Amino acid sequence: MAVSPSGPHVSSIAILSPTTTNGLGKSTITESFDKRKKSVLSPQPTQPADREITEQLNDNVKQKYIKEKKLGEGTYAVVFLGHLRTDPSSFVAIKKIKVNAEYKDGLSMDAIREVKYLQELSHPNIIALHDVFSSKDQNLNLVLEYLPRGDLEMLIRDTHIHYGAADVKSWMGMLARGVWFCHENFVLHRDIKPNNLLIAADGEVKLADFGLARSFADPYLNMTHQVITRWYRPPELLFGARQYSGAVDVWSMGMVFAELLLRVPFVAGNSDLDQISKICEAFGTPTEENWPGVTRLPNYIPADATHIALLQGREFFLRQFPTAGPVGADLLMSMCTLDPQKRNTAFGVLKHGWWSTEPKPTQKQDLPRKSGGTKKMGHDLTRRGGELEETPFKNATRQLDFNTARDY
Amino acid sequence: MAANYWASTQRRHWLFSREKLAEIRESFRERDKVAHTQFPLPDQRLLNIYFSQQLIKLGKRMSTRQQALATAQVYVKRFYTKNEIRHTNPYLVVTTAFYLACKMEECPQHIRFVVGEARGLWPEFIAPDVSKLGECEFSLISEMSSQLIVHHPYRTLSELQPELSLTSDEVALAWSVINDHYLTDLPLLYPPHVIAVMAIIVAVVFKPSQTSFHGSAAPLASAMRDGGMNILAALGDKNGNGPPPRIQRLITWLAESEVDIKAVIECTQELVSLYEVWEQYSEKHCKELLGRMVKSKNLDK
Repeated sequence: MAVSPSGPHVSSIAILSPTTTNGLGKSTITESFDKRKKSVLSPQPTQPADREITEQLNDNVKQKYIKEKKLGEGTYAVVFLGHLRTDPSSFVAIKKIKVNAEYKDGLSMDAIREVKYLQELSHPNIIALHDVFSSKDQNLNLVLEYLPRGDLEMLIRDTHIHYGAADVKSWMGMLARGVWFCHENFVLHRDIKPNNLLIAADGEVKLADFGLARSFADPYLNMTHQVITRWYRPPELLFGARQYSGAVDVWSMGMVFAELLLRVPFVAGNSDLDQISKICEAFGTPTEENWPGVTRLPNYIPADATHIALLQGREFFLRQFPTAGPVGADLLMSMCTLDPQKRNTAFGVLKHGWWSTEPKPTQKQDLPRKSGGTKKMGHDLTRRGGELEETPFKNATRQLDFNTARDY
Repeated sequence: MAANYWASTQRRHWLFSREKLAEIRESFRERDKVAHTQFPLPDQRLLNIYFSQQLIKLGKRMSTRQQALATAQVYVKRFYTKNEIRHTNPYLVVTTAFYLACKMEECPQHIRFVVGEARGLWPEFIAPDVSKLGECEFSLISEMSSQLIVHHPYRTLSELQPELSLTSDEVALAWSVINDHYLTDLPLLYPPHVIAVMAIIVAVVFKPSQTSFHGSAAPLASAMRDGGMNILAALGDKNGNGPPPRIQRLITWLAESEVDIKAVIECTQELVSLYEVWEQYSEKHCKELLGRMVKSKNLDK
């Protein structure tokens, strides 16, 4: 673990925060960054006055954060715990994105996407990006909100933790508000799952990991279907749809809802094909009748005529998810509709009657909690987006998550 | 499009007043008078025309979307509010802005491909080493404080098309006016909807003839002048029938909208001046001056 004393370590940090773009004529850059700049820009003639201002600004911003210890490391990023120099109790998570040392391929799309969207989206249920800075080893550092209470997956898996319908309603409400805000701003998250839903000290659920997020495409422009971790991936993406909408995130939300109620992933296929067949078993086989146009999707596989499962009705959801109550089962059913055109929207979810029926959602400070979340945050933030977990090790990673969670 | 313009970093951090921009540029001059006298460069707008034409060449070779080209041009502008052009290799900056903009607009190109194409266009100024581009990308992102989403006027134009029943010719014309506004400082000065409204007015009211629009812009300024005169005459003619109904409709819509009319007029003026300046444009001249600057300062190394 890289526990560093405060002083010298932070001297390599310069802040490129939103607050420093106020037209001071010259952005705040580190000395180290200046050195690099010389290779990009020209050797600059010495300009004493200018350099003094720049350095002084640097000194000011260098002081802003102190890196404490490493929380986790993945192939994509390293996460450190840090705090404001002025206030040792105000913690932040510093996510250092590993850039290829040789700059061979430029910055990865994940890093770009994360910075791009978090810079613009500000909402209580979306992880906040406080600052971005470059450090001496020329890495991009994202200063993120510190979320010490782990994630929803941890709570779902921990059998010692008991929670009820009111708690689920509270968590789902926060998730739905975060997703609605993304969609309202024309952003698709594309990787909603319990371990991307981090929990703040006050119990607030925050949507994290925007490495797969993108803006809604212009009509008729294609997007990739290789997004969203498999168990949370909607049928249209499994069938290879290249044009889709916020409905993909709503399906994922439905899967999280089901998982919160059952405490196991509801449809957990071990391959994309298996995922399709599990979805058919659970909800019914997609046909032209219940989903016009489905057979024309690129990767559509005609169902075996002898194995056509009928579309599940309301009774199924009532029986399968008794804890949600009849109104909750209706909501879940509307989120798990096979045809994305008929599926509920994030806005529709928020307007559903379930929120106003008894029991009332638990106040966030009274929600069940679990310690050991700090390390979990480190783990969650270093993971790559769902698309890249498509390796033979995918389930192994999940197993690992599992085990670390149990160690606490 | 993503996120909300009114809450965007573009509105909060990248909208300047004319005075502020002038001040920034003057401070660059003050700081390095030697370079400024040693390497005179053409008018900023002429340089922008040059950069934009180079960008279009680069984009054409890789069949890139217009939106990425527009974003790249805004990146170049933002970068040069933080850095003196005489300390940079503009060819590398333009290529990097293009590369980053492609990623941002969801049409990514491989770094090797971009470097290869850029070298095809400007072999003397782009090194074969891709790491230079990667490094410059990092510096570009840092200088822009990682604020990368750019809102463009194109969408407002498409949204207003049915509202104002614009013909497809008018939309095409307004579209090219929007393309042209990237050659000025307007993207740093006004919000995208003001630009879009300006483009629509130019297309509908002034109606510079489509043929003169592409290629040389020389006859354009005068065409706009004549068009404007006719409209003014029609508006002022109390005995006549007033302006044609289509224009009357646009005027009514504008009067009812809360669009800042003064800003729209200033934008129109800026565009008229651009077309006037364009008459002096010489690609050869820009290329020579830039080439001399880059070579003698060893900026390409």
